[in-house]
Amino acid sequence: MSRLDRTRTSAHQLRPFFSSQNLLNRADGSAQFDFGESSVMCSVVGPAEVKLRDEKLDKATIEVVVRPLVGLPGIKDKAREQAIRETLEPLILSGLHPRTGIQIVIQTMKDDGSILATAFNATILALLDAGIPLKSILGAVTCIVDAETNQILLDPTTQELANAKSTHTFVFDNKSSITSDSKQEDKEAVEVATLYSDSTGLFSEEEYFECAQICYKAVQAVHGFIRTAVQKKLEKEQQQIHS
Amino acid sequence: MRDADPSTNEREFLLAALKDGARIDGRKFYDFRTLRLTFGAEYGAVEVQLGNTRVLAKVSCEVIRPYTDKPTEGFLMFNTELSPMASAAFEVGRQTDEEVLVSRLIEKAMRRSRALDTEGLCIVAGEKVWSIRVDIHFLDHDGNLVDAACIAAITALLHFRRPDVTVVGEDVTIHTLEQRNPVPLSIHHIPICTTFAFFNNGERMVVDPTFLEEQVKEGDMTITLNVHKEVCALSKAGGIPMEIDQILQCTKVAVVKVAEITAQIQAALEADAKNQIARK
Repeated sequence: MSRLDRTRTSAHQLRPFFSSQNLLNRADGSAQFDFGESSVMCSVVGPAEVKLRDEKLDKATIEVVVRPLVGLPGIKDKAREQAIRETLEPLILSGLHPRTGIQIVIQTMKDDGSILATAFNATILALLDAGIPLKSILGAVTCIVDAETNQILLDPTTQELANAKSTHTFVFDNKSSITSDSKQEDKEAVEVATLYSDSTGLFSEEEYFECAQICYKAVQAVHGFIRTAVQKKLEKEQQQIHS
Repeated sequence: MRDADPSTNEREFLLAALKDGARIDGRKFYDFRTLRLTFGAEYGAVEVQLGNTRVLAKVSCEVIRPYTDKPTEGFLMFNTELSPMASAAFEVGRQTDEEVLVSRLIEKAMRRSRALDTEGLCIVAGEKVWSIRVDIHFLDHDGNLVDAACIAAITALLHFRRPDVTVVGEDVTIHTLEQRNPVPLSIHHIPICTTFAFFNNGERMVVDPTFLEEQVKEGDMTITLNVHKEVCALSKAGGIPMEIDQILQCTKVAVVKVAEITAQIQAALEADAKNQIARK
């Protein structure tokens, strides 16, 4: 089958990834992540000074700011801020940096659907670039159930999102893993650690769990990509030090 | 978080170097940093890199009702909210003095100079006009946000294409991108800002100050000119008093700089136009 963006042939195919790290000079860490034509840049400053009223005595205060591409920040951006902050709070080892602040700013550079998942992936790369201690790495992906064909499409574009009956965004960590044994697949699917799950629209329980399964498999590719991206960056840095 | 003042060493070194005729990044006094323009796949998106300063501009349009006292005029809006991404000193919701100045300068340079023909944005007088919105996002602050923002804004407006409209009597049809090729905006002239910083008791003038130079400067001035040597705006808000001769000298330097930058912008737009055709 041919997807609406004409570059993909399968319903379970992700758009090509692209990422770039350490782009900004003022931030402690920065990264850009692309899902095809959707691009989000994230900057991380921290651990740094925090206002007295936001100070926590035993942990770092995590602040997330989401900036849309067009227009002033609205309710949607506030909702994304909350989603990202609450997903990251258990992930960041904030106990190591008490009474400090970690400020994460997310800027949408190009919008072609699945912005929240792109933002999550950009954020984790930026946190790695900044050297913020983390418990695990997250990976995010979006999928929709098409209104006409009832098919589950992975990583939808804006055009595909317009035809969606329900939209699901999943964020998984890289600690739990499913063995590739096909017999155990159905049993182990429930043991996966889901960090964030947001669904809108009309869907059944079976559809939800099927989406979760498909997204989980796709997120493995995202994790692999993040690993490769960080590896390459470290190799380049080593070369620069030793040359 | 407030920005830390530069250390005495940094400040003294910069000033001593300027007195000796050098800038610490190796540029000559009237040199701009390397300007890089990157266009997005869609019309009206451009990222400008001026040295380490990075600005992203995005143009969007929508059809709205005009003001009753100006029924044939469209709207042009600029959003220059500084986010903490550019610098941790910028807070969400709180406008710093710098932000206000940048915002005002962009308004003066772009809107008041009538670079964009707002009358050309009219669809049906008194009922439908185009409202063009330019969102300027500051990604990295290494000095001279105004010049970078101005270049980004005008380049994005030049790059942007609005949907084509057909008006038959009372019937207005806004064609989608598939039906008809989108139309460029009518831009009368290309205003470019050139910022100067003053040092050494007003004796030294440099173009395109970096962040460190901005922290140490005694005064600054922004001149907005176009290629036809017309002054669109001139802003010298406070700072050390300068002599008239020096101001005129700055204007002469700005004329040369504006010509260079305008040529670069037009070359980049042409190259991107070819890429767009090749892509289709």
